[in-house]
Amino acid sequence: MAGYEVPRKFPTTVVGSYPKIPPAMDLIKKRRSGDLTEEEFRKLIKEPISEAVKDQIEAGIDIISDGEQSREDMVVYFAERVQGYRPGDWVRIFDNVYFRKPIIVGELRWIREMIVEDWIYATSISMGRPVKGIITGPYTMMEWSFDLKYGDRRELIIELAKIIRKEIDELVARGARYIQVDEPALSTRPWREEAELLKEALDVIFKGLDAKRIVHICYGRLEKIIPYILDYPVDQFDLELKNSNFRLLPYLKEYGYDKELGYGVVDVHSLQIETVEEIKGYIDMLMKMDFIAPEKVYVDPDCGLKRLPRSVAKAKMKNLAEAAKLARREW
Amino acid sequence: MKIWGMILGGFPRSRYARYALRDRERGVTPFAEDVEAIDRASAQIIGAQLAAGFPVVVDGMIDWHDIFRPFVDAWRNTTVDGLLRYFDNNFFYRIPVFTGEPDPREYVLPRRILRFKEIADPASLKAVLPGPVSFAYMSKNNSGLSNEELAEKIAYILRDEARKAIDSGASLIQIDEPFLADIDATRDHARLAAELVDKIVEGVEDKSIVSIYFNIPESSVFEELLNTRAKYIMIDVVDAPVRAESLVKNIGFGDHTPVLGAIDSRRIIDDKPSFVENFLKAIESSVDEVVVTTSTWLDLIPFRYALRKVYVLGRIVEELAGRNGYDLYSIWR
Repeated sequence: MAGYEVPRKFPTTVVGSYPKIPPAMDLIKKRRSGDLTEEEFRKLIKEPISEAVKDQIEAGIDIISDGEQSREDMVVYFAERVQGYRPGDWVRIFDNVYFRKPIIVGELRWIREMIVEDWIYATSISMGRPVKGIITGPYTMMEWSFDLKYGDRRELIIELAKIIRKEIDELVARGARYIQVDEPALSTRPWREEAELLKEALDVIFKGLDAKRIVHICYGRLEKIIPYILDYPVDQFDLELKNSNFRLLPYLKEYGYDKELGYGVVDVHSLQIETVEEIKGYIDMLMKMDFIAPEKVYVDPDCGLKRLPRSVAKAKMKNLAEAAKLARREW
Repeated sequence: MKIWGMILGGFPRSRYARYALRDRERGVTPFAEDVEAIDRASAQIIGAQLAAGFPVVVDGMIDWHDIFRPFVDAWRNTTVDGLLRYFDNNFFYRIPVFTGEPDPREYVLPRRILRFKEIADPASLKAVLPGPVSFAYMSKNNSGLSNEELAEKIAYILRDEARKAIDSGASLIQIDEPFLADIDATRDHARLAAELVDKIVEGVEDKSIVSIYFNIPESSVFEELLNTRAKYIMIDVVDAPVRAESLVKNIGFGDHTPVLGAIDSRRIIDDKPSFVENFLKAIESSVDEVVVTTSTWLDLIPFRYALRKVYVLGRIVEELAGRNGYDLYSIWR
């Protein structure tokens, strides 16, 4: 990317989401209630996006995101923009907090760009830093929607994969070089047949794609399915490691992991800000295990930062970038 | 063969129940108004089950944030921590934290049974408890006890809950042990669960159910659980039907009455009678009673679809009883 050179070793990045910066939530609500048109929304959401981008740049992140300021939720946002979905009723996530689990009622079809405009805008203000194109994956879309149309999970996931591929093609045509597909639902069902189902879908999404292909997976018990995902058609797995106390690392070594690793080193579920020394220690720990080169390690948070206060999110990114800098000198 | 339908556990919250709980959390509800709102919503849920003819109903537990929380709140030396994913659902529970030996400040179930038993008439109420093994192993144990010791302490409190619930008018005690269907569950966990369930239901064995859902347990785990003296054993046959069929055919339910979780509680599509019938045919020669239920609690789908599932379950049980000459147990008979 012209104007900015991503470090060869330990580049820093983010998983994607960032705390909603006012007035992002108000804008999302107004768009839903019809008080704003999509065009008006797109114009006004640029301010929160620019703030999210600014925070990442100031923190020293090399490969940034648009902060997902437009997205109320990682599934609903896309369901609202794909033909064949209709809004769902409220389903509880925890305590008295809910999301509107969308319902598939017709044949799914890509009808318009969903994330391209935000990506273009973020890229225009990124001061040359690459911006990841980030999209929710087909397995997660399938698992976190109700299906009243297909009844066949394989058929459904492949249809979703085709839609995602179309969106990614639009991004890559505009110059995106880092494409990340988020699949948090996979690790909740750590069975071989589920991993193989997603592989089929990823073949559709990534085949012949001229960009770095990343899959983000977090939480759950990924160690159960590592043997079945290592041949996924991706360049990088971006993984949550800090929250699970890095227990995946011995498994990765044991299975001869040879892809790039998005190395989650700060816990997005904790308000405690990891120190530079702590994060550097996590990088050192990985290097001492001696199964991956520094050029293949992308240092980042465990997952999206959206649930943290903005100041905490930014401080975590800053320490992460500082630790990566120190590590570059040593490894 | 006697056949009857029953809802397994909790319901989703109706719009008005959501608002009532939100206002309670904000502290803006006038005295007791939130309780009244929850009672009205619970009555709606009980009424739906009565309309389906179920002889045993649940109140819906709509004020429970998760299966552990009301007990954590009612005991000393317990609190809650952050959120953790509840099995393979897009739902999170607050992790119970044990800082010492749990000690009940009050009991959760008796008041509920007394509150709702008149509304449930002519059906009776079922009391639902978290299993002590799931409770202990899904918590943070800072109590100084081993997990096995902690599970046992929990079981003694739950035994008192169960007895008081029966004394208050509950006709069934259900103990949920979803942890036993987890990929990490072992024969030892099942052995412990069977021992502790027996402690909880001592004296009321013929009124007790152990339920396992979200997956089919490993054969060795299930075989070990069959040693419990609880009369009914429930499994979720929806999540992995091929493995469920294999378990039912190859191991069976021993001397226990099967409770088949055959109505899909995590999807909103209407269930097919043929799916349920397939399982009934597999067991009809070896049992004289079967209960058909939902595959798990209904609180993972929206409220209106939960009501629909109640209707579908009632309709399927009636249809299959008529078609196959089973003896339907219903409040209408």
